Amino acid sequence: MSINRKRLGALLCVVVAAIAVASTAGAASQSTPGVTAHNVKIGGTFPLSGPASLYATIAGAEQAYYGWVNAHGGVNGRTITDIVKDDQYNPAKTVPAVKHLVETDKVFAIVGSLGTAPGLATWNYLNNKKVPQVLLASGDAYWGTCTATGSAFRAKPYCSKPKPWTMGWQPDYPGEAKIYAKYILANKPHAKIGILYQNDAYGQNYLDAFTKALGSHKSQIVDKESYNYTDSSSVVGAHVGALAAHGADTVVFFSTPAASIAALATIPHVPSWHPLTVLNNVSANRIFLLSAEQNGAAPNGVISSSYIKSNTVTPNDSAMKLAHDIIYATGNGTLKHEFDIGDSNLIYGLASAWTFVDALKHAGSNPTRTSLMHALRTLNESSSNKNPFVYPGMTVKTSSSRTFPMEQLILEKWSGSAHDWKSFGGVKTSGS
Amino acid sequence: MKRSIPALVSVVAVAGVLVLLPFIISDYNTFLVGEVGIYFIAVLGLNILTGYTGQISIGHGAFMAIGGYTLAILSRDHQMNLVYGTLIAFALCFAAGLAFGLLALRLSGAYLALATFALAISVTQLPLQYSTYLGGSLGVQASSKTDHLFGWSLFGVHIPRWSLPGPAVLTNKWIFGVAWSFAAVLLVLAWLILRGRVGRAFRAVRDSEIAAVASGVERGLYKTLAFGISAAYCGAAGAIFVMANNGFAQPDEFNVALSLTLLIGAAVAGLGSLWGVLVGAAFVGLLPNISTSIPHLGGHQDVIYGAAVIVVMLVAPSGFAGLLARLRLLRRA
Repeated sequence: MSINRKRLGALLCVVVAAIAVASTAGAASQSTPGVTAHNVKIGGTFPLSGPASLYATIAGAEQAYYGWVNAHGGVNGRTITDIVKDDQYNPAKTVPAVKHLVETDKVFAIVGSLGTAPGLATWNYLNNKKVPQVLLASGDAYWGTCTATGSAFRAKPYCSKPKPWTMGWQPDYPGEAKIYAKYILANKPHAKIGILYQNDAYGQNYLDAFTKALGSHKSQIVDKESYNYTDSSSVVGAHVGALAAHGADTVVFFSTPAASIAALATIPHVPSWHPLTVLNNVSANRIFLLSAEQNGAAPNGVISSSYIKSNTVTPNDSAMKLAHDIIYATGNGTLKHEFDIGDSNLIYGLASAWTFVDALKHAGSNPTRTSLMHALRTLNESSSNKNPFVYPGMTVKTSSSRTFPMEQLILEKWSGSAHDWKSFGGVKTSGS
Repeated sequence: MKRSIPALVSVVAVAGVLVLLPFIISDYNTFLVGEVGIYFIAVLGLNILTGYTGQISIGHGAFMAIGGYTLAILSRDHQMNLVYGTLIAFALCFAAGLAFGLLALRLSGAYLALATFALAISVTQLPLQYSTYLGGSLGVQASSKTDHLFGWSLFGVHIPRWSLPGPAVLTNKWIFGVAWSFAAVLLVLAWLILRGRVGRAFRAVRDSEIAAVASGVERGLYKTLAFGISAAYCGAAGAIFVMANNGFAQPDEFNVALSLTLLIGAAVAGLGSLWGVLVGAAFVGLLPNISTSIPHLGGHQDVIYGAAVIVVMLVAPSGFAGLLARLRLLRRA
């Protein structure tokens, strides 16, 4: 037994020594973390695997754009390194991933991370450390209302203090819902409205804003059906059937992609029912509509909205040709295929990455975290500095009172013969 | 008696290393070892159930969810201190475990496993169903005002505060300290429970229910009790798990994969070995984080994790505990 004890002691000594060596290895200090004379290191979390992994193409497009920028001289002589970590859309995995990015990789900023819950799980931590958490890929209203500073800040139960280091990018869901309400009232004043919404804060966010925007016409809502995120397509279909049974001639889907596809595929199964269908932007990626068509849906005439260009609708647009070159330069077969079938997540990623590069250019020749936030809060992507990937006529712009970079949308209608979206009616303001 | 002296020495040595560790390794690695502490508590609890009474659960993530939400809600609504919150989570999950254990009495083997699996799936639906109180998919954020009981110094060492004055978060060293302090206390508690009459009754039920009943062991009582104890351990682990997630409880954190992670931890640990639990917890706590750090792996780190599990099961089919026993046999031969 004494041998055993000696061995154990030796083992422990080795372990302690190894740990001591490992911990002193990466202890270089810098004035601004992640920024050297030739490089800016940023990071983000995305579901690269698991059920939400279809969003991984956003990260792929962003990395493709930074690669293209690097190949053309970088920003102020610095290349951009973007470290993407897989969190499987699970906040418990987001926290270690973000801590690793901040504490071990020592990134300059967390850029473009996907999802509401992963964002909420890390925003206290990042604001406490004064690390920028910017261009979050989520349309929840928090990223605007809680992140404002000064008099524009409005305290909410989930944010008693301002989060000055956090910022979103895309238009918020309530603003989008408002535009649908106005459209229905203008084009179908006597509509009998049925609503399908996801039974959580995401769906509730849409529903509340939509109901409020209907004003005195809210009595025209004949039925509200809620489904759970994990419900099967047959359960979602049953809810859509209930909307028909309540006599709705107009249906609004505030849902997530899988449920939206199931809902669209159910409509033709209800005899002689041809409701005006409104689909939220989250579900309106072309690849979802194509999938719905394959599942028996006839989505001709479905209404939705957008804020970015489409490479399948306007392939000859100079920005879409650029997008083609950037994506094809990666040599990544998956990205190329997704681009060809019109996965709007790719253009989304390019547009978001364009805004980050724009902010980095305006953050000075020696960017700091403070100067980056200042640049992001005074964005003005107009005239000569226009974001080429957002919809024509829209401007990415922020100020001390406007913290959402995107507050514009355009309505679009699905063409069953072209199998693609067609925009109409001019650019609308979604901001509140 | 002779064998217990080296065992004591090694326990003290490991405890000593753990106490020194946060001062040696980087802050981020301190956090990771803290997460190992959380898995240690949960796997220890599962080991009491599976290893000592032979009841299989693939749903103990559900009790972690109950514990985690208990902590977050007590903090959000009552500004309760996080350590007290963890104790209440422990007690509440003990009750929940007893209740489920009563139902589980009618089931065994694969049927019990399936019932626990259903539990893991259904518990995370509750926050979505009662979203006004349980936060829905947007989760529950523990209050940042819970500092009032822990803003003091102990022997000149300042205990980290949850928040003062800005939106502060729990530090990595705090997570580490809480996780391993609870692990130490719960380990001693487990040892006290298992070494005596209760432990003997547990093992008797596992080895042969008929023989146990014939010897006067109250089969139902002990099977239910084991469920309660293991659930309580997972509840405490879940509460600290939520602290590690910056005080944010959300349904996706407690998905089925978490329950399977605990099961993998218990399988790697093997049955009835303290060292095994430590190895099992380190395996499930560290490997996923190490594999995400391998560059150019994209979304394939689960493949690495899965392959590692297969390799471990091939090399040590009865876990680390079984491996230790085999090595001991080899040396004697």
